[in-house]
Amino acid sequence: MTTPDNSGDVRLSGISKTYDNGFTAVQPLDLTVPQGSFFALLGASGCGKTTTLRMIAGLEEPTTGAVHLGEQEVTHLPPYKRPVNTVFQSYALFPHLDIFENVAFGLRRRGIKSVKKQVEDMLELVQLGEQARKKPHQLSGGQQQRVAVARALINHPKVLLLDEPLGALDLKLRRQMQLELKRIQTEVGITFVHVTHDQEEAMTMADTVAVMNAGRVEQLGSPADLYENPNTTFVANFLGTSNLIEAEVDTENGDDIVLKAGGGKLLLPKARCSAPTKTGGKVLVGIRPEKIALTHADDAGEIPAGRNRLTGKIADASFIGVSTQYVIDSPVCDELAVYVQNVERDGRLVPGADVVLHWSPAHTFGLDATQDIDAGTEEEAAA
Amino acid sequence: MPFVTWLKRHLVVIAGLLTLAYLLLPNVIVTLFSFNKPKGRFNYEWQQFSLDAWKQPCGVADMCGSLSISLQIAVWATVGATILGTMIAFALVRYRFRARGAVNSLIFLPMAMPEVVMAASLLTLFLNMGAQLGFMTILIAHIMFCLSFVVTAVKARVMSMDPRLEEAARDLYAGPVQTFVRVTLPIAAPGIAAGALLSFALSFDDFIITNFNAGSTVTFPMFVWGSAQRGTPVQINVIGTAMFLVAVFITLASMVISSRRNKQKA
Amino acid sequence: MSTLTEAPPPLAPAEEAEPPRKRGRFTPYWLLLPGMLWLVVFFALPMIYQASTSVQTGSLEEGYKVTWHFVTYWNALSEYWPQFLRSVFYAAAATLLCLLLGYPLAYLIAFRAGRWRNLIMILVIAPFFTSFLIRTLAWKTILADNGPVVHALNSLHVLDLTNWLGWTAGDRVLATPLAVVCGLTYNFLPFMILPLYTSLERIDGRLHEAAGDLYARPWTTFRKVTFPLSMPGVVSGTLLTFIPAAGDYVNSELLGSTDTRMIGNVIQTQFLRILDYPTAAALSFILMAAILAMVTIYIRRSGTEDLV
Repeated sequence: MTTPDNSGDVRLSGISKTYDNGFTAVQPLDLTVPQGSFFALLGASGCGKTTTLRMIAGLEEPTTGAVHLGEQEVTHLPPYKRPVNTVFQSYALFPHLDIFENVAFGLRRRGIKSVKKQVEDMLELVQLGEQARKKPHQLSGGQQQRVAVARALINHPKVLLLDEPLGALDLKLRRQMQLELKRIQTEVGITFVHVTHDQEEAMTMADTVAVMNAGRVEQLGSPADLYENPNTTFVANFLGTSNLIEAEVDTENGDDIVLKAGGGKLLLPKARCSAPTKTGGKVLVGIRPEKIALTHADDAGEIPAGRNRLTGKIADASFIGVSTQYVIDSPVCDELAVYVQNVERDGRLVPGADVVLHWSPAHTFGLDATQDIDAGTEEEAAA
Repeated sequence: MPFVTWLKRHLVVIAGLLTLAYLLLPNVIVTLFSFNKPKGRFNYEWQQFSLDAWKQPCGVADMCGSLSISLQIAVWATVGATILGTMIAFALVRYRFRARGAVNSLIFLPMAMPEVVMAASLLTLFLNMGAQLGFMTILIAHIMFCLSFVVTAVKARVMSMDPRLEEAARDLYAGPVQTFVRVTLPIAAPGIAAGALLSFALSFDDFIITNFNAGSTVTFPMFVWGSAQRGTPVQINVIGTAMFLVAVFITLASMVISSRRNKQKA
Repeated sequence: MSTLTEAPPPLAPAEEAEPPRKRGRFTPYWLLLPGMLWLVVFFALPMIYQASTSVQTGSLEEGYKVTWHFVTYWNALSEYWPQFLRSVFYAAAATLLCLLLGYPLAYLIAFRAGRWRNLIMILVIAPFFTSFLIRTLAWKTILADNGPVVHALNSLHVLDLTNWLGWTAGDRVLATPLAVVCGLTYNFLPFMILPLYTSLERIDGRLHEAAGDLYARPWTTFRKVTFPLSMPGVVSGTLLTFIPAAGDYVNSELLGSTDTRMIGNVIQTQFLRILDYPTAAALSFILMAAILAMVTIYIRRSGTEDLV
């Protein structure tokens, strides 16, 4: 790399996209992807993530705003004049060209005559040296995916855009390719912008994840940060599973907020509450299922003091190997999810049993109660 | 009972093969009678085996001349209709524009119109304009009725094409012209070829529209038509047989080549 | 897979492929212009000329003038209605026969041919490349008065039946309605088979198994599953057969007699031999209107509007 350090920055300032039919796919958006990072745009179908990607690629022209690559403004440059390449959804390999020619395509278009060595090296990198003279349809899905990556990377783009690159692969292959893409990214050091609807994929691969919903970025941060401290119900539900319980603000006690839920009280660290709190106001209390411990009601006395507690009755239990997933009906909230590691299984925890759910207040997060409590859940995504 | 069961299971196959026989019977007769040595002017009854006609395929006055006229018209009509039709097909699939409905019906109507109507109306136009009937008027007519078929064939192909392929080309530094030449055209090629082949066959074999608008020019189908009145030379059957064999041979050969190519690469 | 394709919902694919660039605004019109001009001048305009010719009076020597002489239509219809009816009847019979004969073959190619599929396909298409006039003339040999076909039909007493129905006359098949319908059927059969095959081929073979699994016998499966799904093919096949058959005059001329003249024969004679242009134009106009009306009603009723 002879270019200065920030030449691979992607800077989106105020870009938005409204189609001729009036549909706004992307609301005005500011985003900076630093050079060399693996950045994921995560969201459900139609959230605007692909449109954002296409505006970076030059395949869509933004309605407002500007796109910068490093210091260069590229907002109105056609795609073939941008130092950006894309791995397309379902790959878009040219069916009439063999693998070699697919990979050589970009080099040839830029008038480079001797492409043989470069292409062969590239095919070696993705372990497809043997397949050079085959047509795309003769390769498996995973091999096609690697050709698509090779075809884009051979041009040494400043930024590589990946549009659902693993969507067409089966689960096992997807895991394998996730690791491989991550390895390639570390090796070549190019900025990767990765669009996906699969939260696990985004968290596995990316340094930074932007969660998008309805044309806006809901929250941006590292995977762990997003998971532990979601700011909205959408992020809380879309990334993993969250139990959200409606509660009323009672008092403030030092660094904690005391909340009333049902008959009991719950503690919430102030720092972990993204909602404004005033006494008598409503707040959504969030807790991840694996953070909750489950104790049979008979042993309730053994629970250490200072923990948040709820009572409930087991509605359903499913054993899935590493853990057991319980569904618990509680007076404050139906269908609470609790994942318990299968270390020491309590035989009494069967459907119908009365239990106490308890967790450390430090794991609790608080969200604004004016939001849709079901935003980002699977039921909603399917609708 | 086993026979009845067998019959029931294979009824469709038997009926289908009978239809195939019905379709092919005339070609068998045409071939057979290309070796006939008829008495009199008409070649409708079997007399005796002879290779005379095959030895002198152009032995009949004017026949090979008409064949050459037909081939020329078919080639030019194919070129014209393919170019114009491909352009229309691309416009229809790739762009939004006003009057799309009108364009679509103007393309559909020639295919839904009996030939004799198109033939008669075109003749009234040419008569009114005082045009000299002949090679050019035939060619104009052929391009006209082939156009719609080309549009339909190319449109189907372009519509099934993944728009991402062209985006990928543009992403990989191909400008608009390069994208069209390197990606769009090669991928649309089978549709264009199908349209062209259909045009050639339709033009070469057309009789009704040609008959109305030919003036004194005689195409091969017109020659056959005339000979049905004056006397059918055996050479007609020779040409018919040769065309059938060439068509079957070319299709078989291309199939064998493409399947072998696939095997080599696999 | 719908969750994976994230396109802005109600957009034409064209819009996605080609983002609106100012330079390209007129491109579709340039692409359309030459071809559409060709169709307007040599297809649409002639129709107008023909309509105008049909209401002209005059003679070849003195020239024709538009006199809004609609009587031509009345005269043409009252003189030639038998040929009109005959055309519709022959074309309908040929279309029905094409459907009955073509369906099993299309079904065979789509579901039962296995590795023979391509070969049979070629055998269906290849006859196209021999001039249809030559092939139609071959029927003169096949149906010859003392040929094997007529012999067989005679000895099986089929001819007695067809004579009684008025399809044949005496010991002949040639020069009878049966021969003309037979020729029409033969000529347009591939136009029935190809669309039928296209729509049958799209049917998932597992649907047959599913129907069988759900207690449908083979015949019921065909009636309730296969045939309804092949309707688009049936509709376009019948149109592609009926329309050209109704306007055809070649089969009637080569295989029929003066008693089997169809409307195409009349138009051709009026135009090219008698040179009575107004009458010919009126007949042609009536034929066009009748066909368009029938096609429109048929497409509406069968519910398949998107044939092109």
